[in-house]
Amino acid sequence: MLRYLLKRILAALVTIWITTIAVTLLIHAVPGDPVRIMYAKFQSTPEQIEEIRQRLGLDQPIWVQYWRYMERLFEGDLGRSIVGDQPVLDILLTRFPPTVALAATSLAIAVIIGMTLGFLAAYRRGTLVDMGAMVVAIVGVSMPHFWLGLLLLFFFALELGWLPVAGSDWRSLILPALTLGLANAAVLARLTRSAMIDIFDQDFVRTAHAKGLPKTLVLYRHALRSGLVPVVAMLGLQFAYLMGGAIVVENVFAWNGVGRLAIEAVFARDYPLIQGFILFFATVVVVVSVIIDVLYAVVDPRIRYS
Amino acid sequence: MAAGATKAKVEAFGRPPAMLALLKSPSGTIGLILVAMLVIVAILAPFIAPFDPLRMASGPRLQPPSTAHIFGTDDFGRDVFSRIVFGARLTLQIGTIAVGISLTAGLLIGLVAGYGGGWVERILMRLVDVLFSFTEIVIALACLAIFGIGLTNAMIAIGIASIPFYARVTHSIVLVEKNKPYFEAAVSAGAGHVRLLFHHLLPNVLPTLIVVGTLGVSTAVLAAAGLSFLGLGAQPPAPEWGFMLSSSRDLISRAPWMMIFPGLAIMVTVLGFNLLGDGIREVLDPRQRSR
Repeated sequence: MLRYLLKRILAALVTIWITTIAVTLLIHAVPGDPVRIMYAKFQSTPEQIEEIRQRLGLDQPIWVQYWRYMERLFEGDLGRSIVGDQPVLDILLTRFPPTVALAATSLAIAVIIGMTLGFLAAYRRGTLVDMGAMVVAIVGVSMPHFWLGLLLLFFFALELGWLPVAGSDWRSLILPALTLGLANAAVLARLTRSAMIDIFDQDFVRTAHAKGLPKTLVLYRHALRSGLVPVVAMLGLQFAYLMGGAIVVENVFAWNGVGRLAIEAVFARDYPLIQGFILFFATVVVVVSVIIDVLYAVVDPRIRYS
Repeated sequence: MAAGATKAKVEAFGRPPAMLALLKSPSGTIGLILVAMLVIVAILAPFIAPFDPLRMASGPRLQPPSTAHIFGTDDFGRDVFSRIVFGARLTLQIGTIAVGISLTAGLLIGLVAGYGGGWVERILMRLVDVLFSFTEIVIALACLAIFGIGLTNAMIAIGIASIPFYARVTHSIVLVEKNKPYFEAAVSAGAGHVRLLFHHLLPNVLPTLIVVGTLGVSTAVLAAAGLSFLGLGAQPPAPEWGFMLSSSRDLISRAPWMMIFPGLAIMVTVLGFNLLGDGIREVLDPRQRSR
């Protein structure tokens, strides 16, 4: 188990390390002069541009730039944003809690609704319940997040007036979380259904039924437990997908998280902020997927010994 | 023995063509119809659309759906139906270009990694894994930060963002093909690298990859609409569905039709490709059919 754990952590560190290189190279991939592009709206003189270039270290050879970037990174310094001139890390940290709240609430909604729907569909395979659940799921998978968000906004905020259109309190969280949660529930429902169908066909479930064990006992103790293992394995990927969706949903509901920040940064061509965001986002996704993989290995011993 | 031979014969001659098999599954049939409808609408757009999609004041502004404007008009008096019809062209274009980019690049990376083996494989697939953990939207955002915003750049960005996925798929197919007798025979017959790669591996990898690419169109369409919705893709006055949705935002309560129809168009398109994909998968993997 320890070996497996170390291997996963090492792989995660390599990923983050490659990300730092990619992020440093990003600014050099920009066609034209990145400093001029960044400061286009400030009407700077050529001398000022040169001064900024020196301050950002962009006049140095690329390996020196990378070395300095890593040095500062270990001191927790991700540079300063162009717009607003604040430390990038501070901005990211203040905008992160709303995203965590959104992601956690939506994941809970997705897991509860998606798994229940998938389980019911598998249990009643071939019936109207199954067909209905799967029609809902495929429509849900095909629905753009932002459209679902606008529809919910239209009905619950504008027509019925039950919930606020935007804001930062818990009532404003309901609609974005529901949007992201329902969209992900559809994906999870399809996954859960096929995982559970595989399990229901297995001999040990048949044997349990044949032994005359009560139906609910077979369902919960035998089928559900082993059926959930592959679903938990998919949660890592699911989380990355959910975080990607959060970027769009935050913008629909003006929810002030890192996703909205990222879009603002791309519009403003605020490269230090974009670099910081990518590194931050990749780190969060990698760390969460390591945690999920380790949990998975705890549940399923076949993983850690293979 | 005889029974086995007959079975083989039936399999060789009696198997229905793929298209027919596809039509046997309800999801495949519906998917095929929806995708065919999209293609027809895109091709015949000038004949189907009653108005010029860009012409302002084709009717009064913000008209609810009526017989003259079945999907209503927008805040510039443009006919929403005509814009959606022409949007089908953009959508197909986005889907094919983005998938074309990711498929070609992913195919090359996967082929080289799988065929090369050793450190080439380790480095390439490690990089692919890293890109994979970035998620597609972040790669797309990074590309847009580099190239600048706009629909063409958005298509390229989405294409680049999906390369890791196609590279992974190709890589896994190559690993299987490499161990098949025909390939080992070619190696022992002394075939060169180029011949092995393009004459033996490529034709066997391509069919599966084309199927995967068809499914990929739905992801690409969703992603492009998302970027345009965020203002990073299509720019005014393009009749792009995601952009149309974003311009409906401030008018949702006054003109909900501006929001409902473009969203419906995206959903039906994506649904079509998803159902078609499900259908193809059922045909390829009969085990799924009973589900």
